[in-house]
Amino acid sequence: MNEIPEQIVAKLKQEINEVDDVKLKMIATEEGDVTVIYFSSLIEKMTLQTMVTIPLANNLKQIHQMAQYLDPKDVKGVVKKLNAGQTLLFFHETNALLSVDTYSAPTRAITDTETESTVIGPQDAFTESLETNISLVRRRIQSSMLKNENRIVGSEANIKISIMYMDNIVSHENLDDLRNRIDQVDYPLFTDISVLKQLIEDNPLSPFPQYYMTVRPDSICRYLLDGRIVVFMDNSQLAIVCPTSFFEMFVSIEDYYNRWTTASLLRMLRFFGFFLTIMITPMYISALTFHPEILPYELLLNLQESRSKVPFPPLIEVLFIELIIEVLREAGSRMPAKVGQTIGIVGGIVIGTAAVEAGLLSNILIVLVATSALLSFLPPIFLMSNTSRFIRYIFILSAGLFGLFGQMLAFAWLIHHLLSLKSLGTHYMTPAIPRKPNDLLDSVIRFPTKYIRSKTGISKVQKK
Amino acid sequence: MKNKHLCIISFLIFVLLTGCSKKELKVPLEDVGMVDSMAFDYIDENQMRLTVAIPQYSPDAEKDTQTFSITTDLVSSGIVEIEKQSDKKIVFNQLRVVLVNEDFARKGNVRKIVQHLYRNAEVGNKVLIAVVKDNAEAILKGDYPDKPSINFYLNNLLEPSINTAFNPNTNIHDFMYSITNPVVDTVLPYVEKRGEKLEIKGVAIFKGNHMHEVIKPEEALVIQALSGQKNLAPLHLDINAGRGEEKVMIDLIESSVKKESNKNMESPKLTIFLKIKGTLSEYKGEREAHLFTAERISDLEKDVNKQLEQDISEFLARLNKTEVDPAGLSEEFRMYHHGKWTSKKTRELIRKLDVNVHVETSIISTGTLK
Amino acid sequence: MNTTKGKVLNRYHVIFLAQSIMIGTGILSLPQKLSPMGYTQSFMPLLFGVIASLTLFAMVWLCSKFPNDDLFRMNEILLGKWLGKFINLLVIIQFIVFSAGIISNYMHLIQSTALQEQTITMPVLCFLLLLIYIVSGGIKSIARFCIMTFFITIGLFYFTRWAIEKGDPSHFLPLFNFTPKEFYEALKQGYFSILGYELILFYFPYIIDQKKAFRHSLIGIWISIFLCFITTAISVMYYSEWQLKNVEFSVLNLFKAGEFTFIERIDIIGITLWVFLILSSITAYVWCAKRGMDTFLKKKKQSYQLYIIALIIFFIVKMPFSREFQEKLFMASNYVGYVLVSWPVFLILIYVIRKKQVQV
Repeated sequence: MNEIPEQIVAKLKQEINEVDDVKLKMIATEEGDVTVIYFSSLIEKMTLQTMVTIPLANNLKQIHQMAQYLDPKDVKGVVKKLNAGQTLLFFHETNALLSVDTYSAPTRAITDTETESTVIGPQDAFTESLETNISLVRRRIQSSMLKNENRIVGSEANIKISIMYMDNIVSHENLDDLRNRIDQVDYPLFTDISVLKQLIEDNPLSPFPQYYMTVRPDSICRYLLDGRIVVFMDNSQLAIVCPTSFFEMFVSIEDYYNRWTTASLLRMLRFFGFFLTIMITPMYISALTFHPEILPYELLLNLQESRSKVPFPPLIEVLFIELIIEVLREAGSRMPAKVGQTIGIVGGIVIGTAAVEAGLLSNILIVLVATSALLSFLPPIFLMSNTSRFIRYIFILSAGLFGLFGQMLAFAWLIHHLLSLKSLGTHYMTPAIPRKPNDLLDSVIRFPTKYIRSKTGISKVQKK
Repeated sequence: MKNKHLCIISFLIFVLLTGCSKKELKVPLEDVGMVDSMAFDYIDENQMRLTVAIPQYSPDAEKDTQTFSITTDLVSSGIVEIEKQSDKKIVFNQLRVVLVNEDFARKGNVRKIVQHLYRNAEVGNKVLIAVVKDNAEAILKGDYPDKPSINFYLNNLLEPSINTAFNPNTNIHDFMYSITNPVVDTVLPYVEKRGEKLEIKGVAIFKGNHMHEVIKPEEALVIQALSGQKNLAPLHLDINAGRGEEKVMIDLIESSVKKESNKNMESPKLTIFLKIKGTLSEYKGEREAHLFTAERISDLEKDVNKQLEQDISEFLARLNKTEVDPAGLSEEFRMYHHGKWTSKKTRELIRKLDVNVHVETSIISTGTLK
Repeated sequence: MNTTKGKVLNRYHVIFLAQSIMIGTGILSLPQKLSPMGYTQSFMPLLFGVIASLTLFAMVWLCSKFPNDDLFRMNEILLGKWLGKFINLLVIIQFIVFSAGIISNYMHLIQSTALQEQTITMPVLCFLLLLIYIVSGGIKSIARFCIMTFFITIGLFYFTRWAIEKGDPSHFLPLFNFTPKEFYEALKQGYFSILGYELILFYFPYIIDQKKAFRHSLIGIWISIFLCFITTAISVMYYSEWQLKNVEFSVLNLFKAGEFTFIERIDIIGITLWVFLILSSITAYVWCAKRGMDTFLKKKKQSYQLYIIALIIFFIVKMPFSREFQEKLFMASNYVGYVLVSWPVFLILIYVIRKKQVQV
């Protein structure tokens, strides 16, 4: 305790050498000299003034009451606090090291979301600041049962994450499991929470996302009250929900704001759209290459006529146009908005029409591929629609190999894969093999709200 | 770990074994010639003439159908011969119509042909069969300037339609069913070419494997009615009920039939209750001006009943003599007979069969005018 | 993810396992196998159901005396080590040949109807790969797959509606119009269409609720029997006696009668969807064979047995033996299947005798 103050300051200076952001100031106060150390990029000038400078000059008692006392020997811990945006106050006279929380880095304002917008319902979305996000949730669930555990992950970057759950509803097994997984992760930097998600998933090799990700606070609150666990990360707009099931990938929060008939219709559309999008183009290939007798007579004559101009077999034709659409999509998402629109129209319409005229593709195929591309955007979760793009290629290849038989084999593989997936220990296809009959009230068809009372079986809620 | 092994092994297997398997080149859709109609003609005991018609989709061709004919003894060797002449691979996926020459049918060769097609997995069930007077090849190769193509023409002609309800619309399954079933005798539509048009003249009745005779559409309608078909064609009756010649045309809406047998093989008796409902579409005769009241209409109904009963009984008496059972009347007796049922029993039964017919007509309306 | 000794099968798993294993290729040609009886074959599935229930009762009674052992262990305990191991070996061979028979049958069917002009090597390979993937998930994943299969393929029954329309219910009379010889023929040929429930002897240790296992399996069996019954009833209505006898795969021809406006040949979709049913049957058999091999080889590495079994199956299917030999082999394995069904009765006798010996 009786170390020479300069030594302590020297040690600190060593750690933060060549960091020009750090400002060291000597201020003379009533209690002697005080060295103030802080990161200027993390702290706003107004905050510094109100919290540190002015009280130091006038009202030292305030500082002593508000600040936290630190152990000067724990250099690493002290530096961590400094990095987190706190101001360190070193009183030379008393050898006391205090820290005041002054973190006030600029954050984005709360806007509405572009990726998950709805027509009705609240429009706010999460931002990159952890505090804002947590506040968006707390203002909706005003209960002390809403627990919040903070962790630091990332061995190099030291990023804050926060695990939230309702203590009286959640299953503690799931919670322990999740905590274990997060604690075992060893990775230098997490730029986004989806990186963390891939490291704590049950089956990282599978094409399907096993946790639900969203930017909407109302979704998160609904899942919290259903007994799920939510993880937030600082600097990440998304939040992940676990455990989740396959059918929830087709659920959009707007379903709960619409009336049950519309909601059921839209949900069925999304669900069957997923299966249609992976089946349509392979059906085209298998019908034309292997089983022409499936198609009705008049359609077959039309097809023969349009295909007689095309030099490629159906498999190559389909792969060709699927790749063109992927290229259009990728290129369109990277281009700046002003240029992107024109190129999109040019690419889509002109290439499509010109290709048919030139005899590279048949026009029926373009209709089918465009439909299936549109259908692949139906699932509200972006990751899921990417998955369906990938799976479609598997089906196309197997249809090209064995026709309808290959498609069914691929379908059997898909079903088995989905059945064996687990999300935080519970099965991914849960409502299909329901743990509770009430689960079915909210799966593909949504029954009127007054019947949906009980929690879903997947969260294994505590019994009252 | 296991999945990783599996992936590597499967990848290796795929790559290495593609060399081992021999895949024949898949013929793409545009190089496939889909046969739409086939025709068989009788030449002599061992030989038949096989004609196939393939629709031509390319708009550049002059004719819209390609036809090929060869003489052969087996159907499949015939197809191979045809492929020598055609530039496309012949498949039977879209076969719709099979025409058979009358001689061919009378000699009893139809069953072999149809069985061959039945065995073929490519052929679907929508194939309609018809017997043709004279030359089937000529029909396929004929020129029908006002029709889109012979394939469409034949198909639409033979398909079920309300005005040709006497047409039994036999497809391959029905044919195989009736020809192998000792209870029923096969019926096929009978088509004749008149100038530039084809016409369904009547119905050909088979006795066993051989074609036996041709009957007129009115009598064929009776067969359809007796086998329980619900929608029958407009019925045209000549009534001789003591009021001179009357012609009645009834548009039938619904018909139902109930058969009761006395379960006796020695002296079989069958009672048939036939109920028909229809609207009176046209009437020519003495009572024309008087058909306003319900009484008069019910009088007419009674006359229609009697006439129908008479017609049907006459027809069935003919069947007695010729010992054929196209309507499956002996099914009523097979149901109560223990042991195997053979076609001999059917013939015996039909010969001895005594039928009592009761017809009940109800004329629902007479159109929008009175 | 390999098989664990814990109890993992709840009652839905038991029901649908028993149901799915029974429906494989057997039901496709069931009317043809029962054709010696002609039109009166429609009640035969019900009779089979009764026989199956009785034999199932024997099996479950035997299993409940050994709640943690499957048949392989039971054989060793009751018959002594060497005789038991020998019988186990026979059982394993029987399962492998049986599975190969089913696969070979199905592949030839696919080749003749859906995939013409292609050798069956590649499809068989892909099928076997998928098989390995499913079996490596253990009995629970097989059970879940069976449940999904049931729901996916039950829709196929709608396609028989056209056959019902065209059919003639008068075919059902006269009842009981058969001779004992015909009856015996049909029984002999038809019964192995519904073999499959005897595998409960092998997955009994994994059932959570063993007291009610009999009831649940019975439900599963009667669901299958009901489906078979509907199939034979519709076939009898639709076909003539000659057709029943000569048309192989009568069920697929029933599908041929169907017509939609946008799809012509529904039977092709029916055949390819059938692969689900085949998979659900064969995965269970292969899983049992693998468990059998486990008892022989006490190695730690459990994964290689699966590949060996798959390879053996592949070679049996692709063997350059004559087709006659293959058919004889598969017929023989079918009959051995009958022996397996009645084996528990034999074991029960031994068990009772042994108990008496111990008491005395």
